[in-house]
Amino acid sequence: MQFCALIVDSLRHALDRKLFWILVAITVLVTLMMLSIGFEGGKVSLFFGLVEAEVDSYDPLAASGKARLVGVVIYGLMDFFLGWVGITLVIIATAGLFPAMMESGVIDVVLSKPISRPVLFLYKYLASMVFVLIQAVLFVGFTFLVMGLRWGVWVPGYLLCIPLLVLLFSYVYCVSVLVAVLTRSTLAVILISLGAWVVFSGVRQAPAIFDTFPELQKHHVTHQVVRAVSWIPPKTADVTYLAAKWSNAGTSLDIIPASAMEDVSAAERGQLERSNQWEKEQLEISAFSSIGSSLLFEVFVVLLAMWKFTRMDF
Amino acid sequence: MVRVTELTNLAVDLVDVHKTYRKTVQALRGVNVQVRRGEIFGLLGPNGAGKSTLVKIMMTVVRPDKLVGTILGRPLGNRKKLALIGYLPENHRFPPYLTGEELLDYYGALAKVPKAMRRRRAAELLEWVAMSKWAKTCVGEYSKGMMQRLGLVQALLNDPQLLVLDEPTDGLDPAGRRAVRELLLRLRSEGKTIFLNSHLLSELEMVCDRVSILVNGLVARQGTLRELTEHTVEYRITTTGDLAAVKEAVERCGARIDNTVIILNGHNVAKVNELIDLLRGKGVLIESVVPHRFSLEEVFMETLGTAR
Ligand SMILES: Nc1ncnc2c1ncn2[C@@H]1O[C@H](COP(=O)(O)OP(=O)(O)O)[C@@H](O)[C@H]1O
Ligand SMILES: [Mg+2]
Repeated sequence: MQFCALIVDSLRHALDRKLFWILVAITVLVTLMMLSIGFEGGKVSLFFGLVEAEVDSYDPLAASGKARLVGVVIYGLMDFFLGWVGITLVIIATAGLFPAMMESGVIDVVLSKPISRPVLFLYKYLASMVFVLIQAVLFVGFTFLVMGLRWGVWVPGYLLCIPLLVLLFSYVYCVSVLVAVLTRSTLAVILISLGAWVVFSGVRQAPAIFDTFPELQKHHVTHQVVRAVSWIPPKTADVTYLAAKWSNAGTSLDIIPASAMEDVSAAERGQLERSNQWEKEQLEISAFSSIGSSLLFEVFVVLLAMWKFTRMDF
Repeated sequence: MVRVTELTNLAVDLVDVHKTYRKTVQALRGVNVQVRRGEIFGLLGPNGAGKSTLVKIMMTVVRPDKLVGTILGRPLGNRKKLALIGYLPENHRFPPYLTGEELLDYYGALAKVPKAMRRRRAAELLEWVAMSKWAKTCVGEYSKGMMQRLGLVQALLNDPQLLVLDEPTDGLDPAGRRAVRELLLRLRSEGKTIFLNSHLLSELEMVCDRVSILVNGLVARQGTLRELTEHTVEYRITTTGDLAAVKEAVERCGARIDNTVIILNGHNVAKVNELIDLLRGKGVLIESVVPHRFSLEEVFMETLGTAR
């Protein structure tokens, strides 16, 4: 009963803010955009058939051609809309939930109710997850249906993006609540969480420097330290690759037509192939160790925030 | 345990409560407060005395440094007992996006009031504070007085045994204050215990059975209104004539003269009669002899004066 009440309250709070509706609008917009694309008679039509285009990599005779294109679309959706735009907006949309609960005059009533502080904290934390879950279900659900009904390609693996998105969000959200408990300021939560997210993604890529510049590997200690440190924060970048892997999506190289590749210089092509190789490697990551170690970090930060919350005076 | 017999009839029994904020602000320095079941108890004190801190400690909003004691016979923070307490914090604010009805449902659920009961009680209580027609309006649009009434309804939703109110008449107009007083008296007649915080003694004077005066984090006085005002009496002897002739003799008796009135401090019947004899002996006409009991306000001001 208390859990439901807290979730309903958090959702009402979220619904009251414009960002919730902006997120819904993005879902609608992306869905419409995808709806406007059709595959008919060996051609790809855009804007509900207004424009027809030929795509080199799209071979209408082979079902694999269409599947590959859809794979690229999924990768784009996951990487851009869910990974970057979506998470940014969701972090901002949920940033105010904890600070609002902890406002003086508001928290007093809540704490006086027969609910312990750790339980209150956890319920409230989960309430934010539910918020993101709803957004993820809307976005992934609609785009999934468009791909199935309009394009005739059903990708059940794509539905795994729903839990993965919530997971990705939770990696960053633990930082949000810690900052919220320490500062009680929504602005601080937004800035530091977004910063943390960039750092998480950046640190994860750090070891790649050694692969790009092999001469750096001679500094053995530095190399090991960087590898160890890069292991600690949540692996936000991995989530996109996991999603791509599980939904059989392609990598960004797949989107470049073979004919276009012939025109680029050798150096550029090398660059593209290296990054493609790197992305392919990422697809090989172990879900278990990546998610496990990330959750370890998350649990630690959440426990820290919870401990602080239970010892606060309001 | 010495307190075993008292456990049954004390709704609140706090012993030696200490609280220092951020290692510097000593808000409470060893407070003892006992509230009997079924009474209206008033905690009186100037701003910053520590009243809200004490109440917040009772409601687990603030953590005490040191505390022995019980509420409704159980240690502080016991969740079964918290479900039986209603609390209205000072300067409370409610989430502005909720309507009155939604807010009551939310807090009712947190207080573990079953759904059917919180529906019914919310409707009854809203009706009773004349807020029914605002039930579907967002709290953000409420006036201060409406917020206060909604706050009271929220505190009463779980049909509490103990009601803790921190400055409940703050921001209410005289009619609102009166309504609150009547509510408190009615709740007492239903057998509920009420713990009331106020810096305005006029608020407490009219309803409280017992009062504690808190100054600088310490209880300076505690007792029934009668006990607090009993020993602080003065007698006023009003005469008709000129008192210049008796001035010296009167002052020797320890009284002072204010125009045609002689004022004798303290509760001393023998001294009063001595003075009357003296005046009558000198032929002074006495119009009236009136024992003047200090109001709680005068006691309060005096306590503040000595405590500072
Ligand atoms: N959260 C807090 N942090 C630091 N100091 C506080 C806090 N709350 C109250 N105080 C201080 O504690 C003292 C008592 O405050 P309070 O209990 O609100 O008094 P009252 O309710 O009697 O006006 C004041 O000096 C106040 O500044
Ligand atoms: Mg106060």
